[in-house]
Amino acid sequence: MVTLTIDDKQVTVSKDATIYDAAKAAGIRIPIICHDKKLQPFGGCRMCLVEVEQMKGRQIPACTTPVTEGMIVRTSTDEIIKARKMVLELLLLKHPIDCPVCDAAGDCDLQNLTYEYQVNTNRFQDEKFNWKIDYENPLIERDMNRCVHCGKCARICDEIVSFGAYSFINRGIQARIGTEFDGPLNCEFCGSCVSVCPVGALISRPFKFKARWWSLNKVKSVCSYCGTGCQLTLGVKNNEVMTTIYDENQGFHNGQLCTRGRWGYQFVNSEKRLTTPMIRKNGKLEPASWDEALGLVAKRLGDAKGSPDSLAALVSPRLTNEELFVMKKLFKETLGCDNIDHAGGYSHKALTAGAKESLGYAGSPSVIADIKKTNLLLVIKTDAYETHPVLGFEINLAVKQHGVDIRLLSDKKGKLSKLPNAQTYVHKAGADLLLVNAIAKVILDESLHNAAAAQAIGGFSAWQQSLANCAIDQVAAQCGVDTDTIKGLARDYAAAEKALIILPTGMGYPGHGKEMAQAVINLALLTGRVGKEGCGVLILGEKNNSQGAADLAIYPTAGGKEAQAILAGCAAGSIKTLFIAGENPVVSYPNRSQVEKALDAVEFLVVSELFLTETSAKAHVVLPACSFAEKEGTFTSVGGAVQRINPAIKAIGQSRSDLAILNGLFQAITGQPAYANSAAAFLDLAATVPGYAGLTQAGLGDNGAIRAVSGTATFVPVPAAVPTSEAGKFALVTGSALNHCGTLSLYGEGPMLVCPAGYIELSREDAKAVGVKDGETVKVSSATGEVKLAVKVGSRVPKGLVFAPYHFADSSINTITSGNAITWVSLAK
Amino acid sequence: MSNAPAEATKAEEAPAEEIDLEPANHIIDKYLTLPGNLMPVLQGIQDEYGYVPRPTIDLVAERLNVYPSQIFGVLTFYAQFHLKPRGRFIIRVCVGTACHVQGAPRIVETFFDKLGIGHAETTPDLRYTFEKVACLGACGMAPLAMVNDSTYGQMTVQKVDQIIADYNQRPMKK
Repeated sequence: MVTLTIDDKQVTVSKDATIYDAAKAAGIRIPIICHDKKLQPFGGCRMCLVEVEQMKGRQIPACTTPVTEGMIVRTSTDEIIKARKMVLELLLLKHPIDCPVCDAAGDCDLQNLTYEYQVNTNRFQDEKFNWKIDYENPLIERDMNRCVHCGKCARICDEIVSFGAYSFINRGIQARIGTEFDGPLNCEFCGSCVSVCPVGALISRPFKFKARWWSLNKVKSVCSYCGTGCQLTLGVKNNEVMTTIYDENQGFHNGQLCTRGRWGYQFVNSEKRLTTPMIRKNGKLEPASWDEALGLVAKRLGDAKGSPDSLAALVSPRLTNEELFVMKKLFKETLGCDNIDHAGGYSHKALTAGAKESLGYAGSPSVIADIKKTNLLLVIKTDAYETHPVLGFEINLAVKQHGVDIRLLSDKKGKLSKLPNAQTYVHKAGADLLLVNAIAKVILDESLHNAAAAQAIGGFSAWQQSLANCAIDQVAAQCGVDTDTIKGLARDYAAAEKALIILPTGMGYPGHGKEMAQAVINLALLTGRVGKEGCGVLILGEKNNSQGAADLAIYPTAGGKEAQAILAGCAAGSIKTLFIAGENPVVSYPNRSQVEKALDAVEFLVVSELFLTETSAKAHVVLPACSFAEKEGTFTSVGGAVQRINPAIKAIGQSRSDLAILNGLFQAITGQPAYANSAAAFLDLAATVPGYAGLTQAGLGDNGAIRAVSGTATFVPVPAAVPTSEAGKFALVTGSALNHCGTLSLYGEGPMLVCPAGYIELSREDAKAVGVKDGETVKVSSATGEVKLAVKVGSRVPKGLVFAPYHFADSSINTITSGNAITWVSLAK
Repeated sequence: MSNAPAEATKAEEAPAEEIDLEPANHIIDKYLTLPGNLMPVLQGIQDEYGYVPRPTIDLVAERLNVYPSQIFGVLTFYAQFHLKPRGRFIIRVCVGTACHVQGAPRIVETFFDKLGIGHAETTPDLRYTFEKVACLGACGMAPLAMVNDSTYGQMTVQKVDQIIADYNQRPMKK
């Protein structure tokens, strides 16, 4: 620790702090423009100049100068104020004074500092720049005339996002922030650059001219897209979510958001939102009152009480914990129905069936903070970045700032493959499980494992026995990864002091289910890496509350039917009533025609939804539900963080939260409501759900709390199939597109402006062989159907493999997928 | 009016270039494992092609794992790099003080007239690129012109004709 004096105040800080950090700790504000706590110090703007007595009173930048013992710093002498005024005058020399029409007004560091330092005249004069403004993309407007060269956009895009869209170009007076070849912005559109821009050079186009910054009501909440659990601040005016606001002090991610969280908020106030309940009359959905709709549903559910097998529910893991809890109470406890599941019956199995059996709890043994604390990251399928982009940022930071070694085991390359010293082992499609087992086998054969720890865990010898026939040479030939590479990876993994495995899961990853989770957990258990900091396995549940749904056991637990079996039951007529809350199986579950047949066949279909989706359009009763921005409750993130969401706006139309809907049904059936409110539901939840004990909604505060996990681990033998191939056909793997999450983002204008339709990614060689060029359409056919998709040619996918995202309703990929990890498809022009 | 310098070719204006990437690949191979390899690679490419063609920038970005925007930043920072094809013969005329008083402006005008191009421009046949420069460091020979590495002192309007006639005869390949 170092002690220094700033403006006559003594302050003690760690030795790697800067003067700026020390001043902040002492409650002294030093103005900054180019500094951001997430970024490496830059020292470019000279606003933070201070005087240091030991440096003969010279003016030095506080944000880049480290503290030293006994330093005497003065932050606001007359000379300093004079210097800062001049910095502002020089910045204003070129900066246009267009504050009245600038969207940053009120949230502009330059404007605020100009006001604070009373720079009302300028001793200098020069012509203003007249750079062309970039309006060529729908989300980010770039006006380089307003740029103050702080470089924050280029730095965040490089250091955290790892895309590198911006760079300083040209030199001298002509220098400015530009893109490659000075062309229009063509990036991931995460908007990180917009969030850190201290002036109005980079502004949000969807928000432009919507509201003045100071007129927005700011409400803290949690993003409702993926499972990362990013906290966000919604900017609200006139009961409308206008934008998301950057708060560098929010969440583990310091306010950083991805393309969906930043630009995907429009679904909340979408004109397409359902506003009244609807009941099918004479084959048509017609508006109805809540009493009528709920009465009808309650009667149907109540009638099914005697025959719970004829009833089933498919629930979205986008609901809050409290809602899921009431759902469970209603279906499992009150109606005695165990036919309840979420997300297609397999995408959550990694957590519910895999982790539960192997670890004793349906969750990851690791937390998000482990990413930066580990020494080696083993990422299974590179798409961790595309499913959970902000975790991708955390991985970038771990690799770049903390020197974490990153290894990727995948059937294709991805953005993480481009990180410094990243090693990607591209294997044949469907060979992941075989490879993970082979790595374990090498560790066992070479006695690199933690023998004492491993042998103390149940099932060790049976599992070891199951690997007896695993011959590395043979596996190498089957996987397309050579023996030495497999051995090298196994040795590196075993030798690392701390190692963390990241496993993305979700609707688009049928191969990443129960077995894959168990195989990687076996590997972590073998090396004694469960329950240690910076170690273990992080299973990335796809949706915002996938982890909560797993924790609350929203899946069949007493022999009930899983999603696939539920749909089969609907088609066969054994299930007569189906309640769907927030799921859109027609688009997201595999084998669309079968799903549609099942939903068309079921006697009574109730859907509680935000929109008239492809699924709710088939319902007999549609209940308009609230979005996350209209309700309170909690979500549990992939790292087990239980975080509160807060109502930012009043419910749209007559929509009700799922909690209110389920409570209403509960009351109609039992005569009394399940809970008075969401806090009461949480109280009961905390008392009954393992790991949530002691938590209260109010006690979660702004930062949330990580729920505990405990259980008894076991080694589980996981048989791995040898990857197959079909002559002349391509291996289709599905997954997530960066801009989308599930099918909800299709109602967010931002993501749709950037990525409006499905596509299929091909290697250059394959594109040539099929005779298609980038952007052209190709006919993709499999045993279950045929679909036309635009072609994206790139170097990410190897020859023989094609990739398609699953989110889109038009020409949806589930027309041709059947739920197998790999779908063999033919391509024709 | 744009303040953009002539060199900053807009993406949409860039003609589709079909070039042989083989030499660029060889240059990258040579420096691939060395730290700080971006500058020598770009210099090698410029030597080879006479400028830095866009497809080579994409190639360098891919193989050295550097953002294309950063490469573009480096290329536009250093005067030594050129993003457009340059002439086989680079004519430089000094317009520094000594040359100026000795009539450099007339020499420049004459070159403009004879070649049909202006400052920092290249003839369509890629034979000549013309540049005004601030000082060539040989004020005793003012007014001064250079063609590639050859120096021509005490320039006159007549000498411009001679130089052009001479270089018109020379072969286009090195």
